[in-house]
Amino acid sequence: MIEVQNVSKSFNGTQILKNVSTVFEEGKVNCIIGRSGSGKTVLMKSIVGLHEVDEGKILFHGRNYTDMKDKQRKEIRKEIGMVFQSGALFDSETLEDNVMFPLRMFSDMSEEECRERANFCLKRVEVINKNKLFPAEISGGMQKRVAIARAIALKPKYLLCDEPNSGLDPITSIVIDELLHGIVKEYNITAIVNTHDMNSVMEIADKIIFIYQGQKWWEGSKEEIWSTDNKELNDLIFASPLTKKIKQYI
Amino acid sequence: MQNYFRMKFFYHLGRYVLLMKKAIGRPDGKKMFLRNIGKEIVAVGYESVGIVALISFFMGGVMAMQFAINMENPILPQYLVGLGTRDVVILEFSSLVIALILAGKVGSNIASEIGTMRITQQIDALDIMGVNSANYLILPKVLAGAVCFPVLCCLSIITGIAGGWIIGDVTGLVPSGQFVLGLTFLFQPFYVVFTNIKMFLFGILITSISSYYGYYVKGGSLQVGHASTTAVVVSSVVVLLFDLVLTTIL
Repeated sequence: MIEVQNVSKSFNGTQILKNVSTVFEEGKVNCIIGRSGSGKTVLMKSIVGLHEVDEGKILFHGRNYTDMKDKQRKEIRKEIGMVFQSGALFDSETLEDNVMFPLRMFSDMSEEECRERANFCLKRVEVINKNKLFPAEISGGMQKRVAIARAIALKPKYLLCDEPNSGLDPITSIVIDELLHGIVKEYNITAIVNTHDMNSVMEIADKIIFIYQGQKWWEGSKEEIWSTDNKELNDLIFASPLTKKIKQYI
Repeated sequence: MQNYFRMKFFYHLGRYVLLMKKAIGRPDGKKMFLRNIGKEIVAVGYESVGIVALISFFMGGVMAMQFAINMENPILPQYLVGLGTRDVVILEFSSLVIALILAGKVGSNIASEIGTMRITQQIDALDIMGVNSANYLILPKVLAGAVCFPVLCCLSIITGIAGGWIIGDVTGLVPSGQFVLGLTFLFQPFYVVFTNIKMFLFGILITSISSYYGYYVKGGSLQVGHASTTAVVVSSVVVLLFDLVLTTIL
């Protein structure tokens, strides 16, 4: 479980996050939704400590991450897996070496054990017989899958994904969604997924947090989202002609 | 205006010192660290052997020819050509000129490599995994620079003198025997130690300054290019200043 308590963050005098509080529950996929520039990525980066918050606290299973020193944070960071929007795979390493990286750095496993675990993770994300390829030699969808494999290699307690479906076709997006959902349930991970892909939200979200102009504007389940009277949320969900038509039938 | 530049200088100096403090420390994964040092020795040292040998050979040859042509006087013994070539190659050419060439080759490579890792979030990925990214990326490069630059300097001395000897002999400007006599005449072994001390320091400066400019890139590919150019310019200026200081001290 990750708790965010009254978090605020500014850049050069512009306040991006305003007093955000929420709880990301264990074993569930918690989706953060919002328009581009609403502060979703800043919230996610603040949670993992890539941005220092101006005010507020972030707690990982009750452990106050905000007040921790670098050494203490390092221990928590080993429990976090993160999938970036771009994948962020290491260009100079093969796919197998990318997945083996956290194992080589932080586990006591032998080289053979690391390789076995990496192969297991690559198989789990359905990347087969591509171990010796480099990230530049595979498609964007496959890069995301390898990034997920790297993120789960150390069996993390927390999985954070920043727009995992951006730039992917609808079919590949569904594959990624199913993969994330399956992994979260399988390992009982606290997952936070940043997205503005409503198909994805409806597919995998157990809890939805809507960020609007840096504030938490709404939170609830995917069942509740259809009946909300929150205007800004409705504007986002029913922005496309297709979803407007669907709304007429609800 | 003067204050602005002074502020900027101290801003960069302070940030550089803090980054180096972060970079120098016990590495996380010993195996990975040793593997990285090996990779960097290949990138910084081995891959520079060709260009250093080529430039040194021809510069040594041209130096010997220039000495021979400009010292064509019955009073001046011919062995002075060998002596002059030897001292210029050892004292300044093999350290300063080669360091400036390596600032261009190695420095731009390091800045663009780390800069690209920064803008593609690969450094963020390292930080989130709990890896000290500065230590992981910068320390192996600095150590490789400290080891490889003196080795390249020795190579440059050998090929530079060989170039002078061979070209002097082939063109008939300096007989081989006279050139060798000049090489051994009043030879001070400390010159070789002195030039290697300089190259050791230049190796550390060039790799660390280039890493600094790459590590703090913000933006996109344009900024990576800009950082790469700035790294080469700043490294070159710092090398020139330190050459002056070391020549005065030693």
